[in-house]
Amino acid sequence: MLNRLNAASLWICPFRPFFLLTAAHAIIAISLWLAALGGILPMPELPGGPVVAHAHEMIFGFAMASVAGFLLTAVVEFTGCPPIGRPALQRLVALWLAGRLAWGLAGWFGIHPAAVLDLAFIALLIGHAAGPLWRAPQRRHLAFLHTLLALAACQAGFYLSLLRGTDAMAWLRIGSGLLMILIVVALSRISMRLVNDVLEAQGGIAAPYLARPPRRGLAIFAIAAHTAAEFLLPGSTATGWLALAAAAAAFNLLNDWHVGRALFQRWVFVPYLVYWAMALGYAILGAGLLSGHNWSNAGQHLLLVGALGLAIFIVMAVAGRMHSGWGLDPRRWVPAGALLIGGAATARSAASLPAGAEAYATLLEIAGGLWIAGWSLYLAWSWKALATPRPDSAKGCDEAAAAG
Amino acid sequence: MSGRPSLGASRVQTWLAGAGNYLWSGWGSLASVFLFLAIWDVAAGQLGALILPTPLDALTTLVRLLQDGQAGPETLVTARRALAGFALSVGIGSLLGLAAGISTTASMMSRPIVTLLVGTPPIAWLVLALLWFGAGDGTPIFTVFIACFPIVFVGAMQGTRSLDGQLRELARMFGLPPLMQFTDIYLPHVVSYLFPAWISALGMSWKIVVMAELLSTEDGIGAALAVSRSHLDTAASMAWIVTLVGSLLAIEYLLLEPIKRQVESWREFASSND
Repeated sequence: MLNRLNAASLWICPFRPFFLLTAAHAIIAISLWLAALGGILPMPELPGGPVVAHAHEMIFGFAMASVAGFLLTAVVEFTGCPPIGRPALQRLVALWLAGRLAWGLAGWFGIHPAAVLDLAFIALLIGHAAGPLWRAPQRRHLAFLHTLLALAACQAGFYLSLLRGTDAMAWLRIGSGLLMILIVVALSRISMRLVNDVLEAQGGIAAPYLARPPRRGLAIFAIAAHTAAEFLLPGSTATGWLALAAAAAAFNLLNDWHVGRALFQRWVFVPYLVYWAMALGYAILGAGLLSGHNWSNAGQHLLLVGALGLAIFIVMAVAGRMHSGWGLDPRRWVPAGALLIGGAATARSAASLPAGAEAYATLLEIAGGLWIAGWSLYLAWSWKALATPRPDSAKGCDEAAAAG
Repeated sequence: MSGRPSLGASRVQTWLAGAGNYLWSGWGSLASVFLFLAIWDVAAGQLGALILPTPLDALTTLVRLLQDGQAGPETLVTARRALAGFALSVGIGSLLGLAAGISTTASMMSRPIVTLLVGTPPIAWLVLALLWFGAGDGTPIFTVFIACFPIVFVGAMQGTRSLDGQLRELARMFGLPPLMQFTDIYLPHVVSYLFPAWISALGMSWKIVVMAELLSTEDGIGAALAVSRSHLDTAASMAWIVTLVGSLLAIEYLLLEPIKRQVESWREFASSND
């Protein structure tokens, strides 16, 4: 069995197992969470409480798997180094899976096993990505390494605070901010290529699209400032102003995207929606803090379900196909999946706002259902690209075969 | 047949897209403003409400002042004075500057006088204006005029001085009628110098008028600032300052910056064709 798995095309490029695991995790984790919320399953008795456990799983389980798959593949493309070997990839996947299992069983075994496994996973991931990123000409992609190191520190801080019995959620909010920064860093690189491809295909009438570094820099700075303030000055109006600054900086990023009709092409429009969700999420956080309302849940879910969910979905839909030699997917499941995840973000966020408070439980179920449906679509339509041999029977992560 | 209307429509479309893009780029400025408000908020938390109210307090006070009907009229009075002084300086400064630019002797003669005018601090002019005009509209209007005048004057003078002699020669050789010479050669060049000067002057006028009002009048934003200061009402003072800075920012970004860009692209176009 292990030999069959060894031989499978699952291991020819690092994104393959991790993208499958991301989608599967999205479906399983939210199904369990919905069942627990609905009283079908008992609430998980995990350190920090059920809400902390849910947030940790979505940030360091679901999102980290996609980050690992994306980074290990992106490093190959950015720096031209060979992809990591099959044993190394299998070790990473095993650590991630063991981490999820240990976290699920932390109620019985304590958090030490989960802490060791999760930290070992992220350390190993950094170990694989750091060298190529550092050696790349002009070190142009070092921002990925910085964000990854910050995520590792955040993960360590989270486990330490659990051990000490302090507010572990504060560390998960840092994790959320770091993932937003990672979106800005990653999406600018992916979108430059995608948007210009679309513009070129349309005849190159509009101005070429350029993700401008100062705008990105402002967005990263504002998000980082808000994340730091959220940790150091929780609930303060200063944090509220910084959230509004992050919202405005995210809206400012959209300036690069107003490239005419090409915007309504799916490969452009979904990343565009990612920044809208990010901007609105931060705007809700800011407005809540400044008006004295607790809208933190609504804002954070718009960031994590909306911006992060959509970003992961579109990146996996693009990279998963391109780097397995299939080329961009023209089928309708891509916009449908994005619509479902966008709907999930809207419903989940609305549930925590005054307007949706009365229908709280229903909205949560709707949001969970839409989320699960969206990721099921991904899994069903991408299974072939992720787990079967390349159409050109090549090895590795090249996309050249598809273009030719 | 349908060529003309569609050309017009596409021009409107391009203009609308440009305007939309420009307005949307305001988000970047807004992000910086919010970052500044966060720093202000933290400082206010350290210093206490008497020394520095929080931005939220200042904004709430501003909303109250607007609802009371206080902020509107005072702002209009201030705007009237600032614009009157500005209009005077633009009218007189541009005319005299253009005239001085035509003659080398005149521009040489005017240079020390301009230096003298620029060097005199506005507060000194204010004291003189108080002596000459007393409390009333005259004092702030004169102070604004005299502070803005040298800026406009120098801009206009440089515009005429730097006219391209070869172009003039060319126009003469082709026998361009005088009106066309003026509208197609002199005006675009001079305006590209005049406009930036007018813009700096307008920004200046807005600041000077409040200073003048603070010391000389009983109405306007400056006077309201003086009253709130005497009541030790820091929140109201900040609210008035926010009104002032807010309207300055609005004028700067919604009116002047777009015009400046237009004029600058004009100048770049002209210089790239040299």
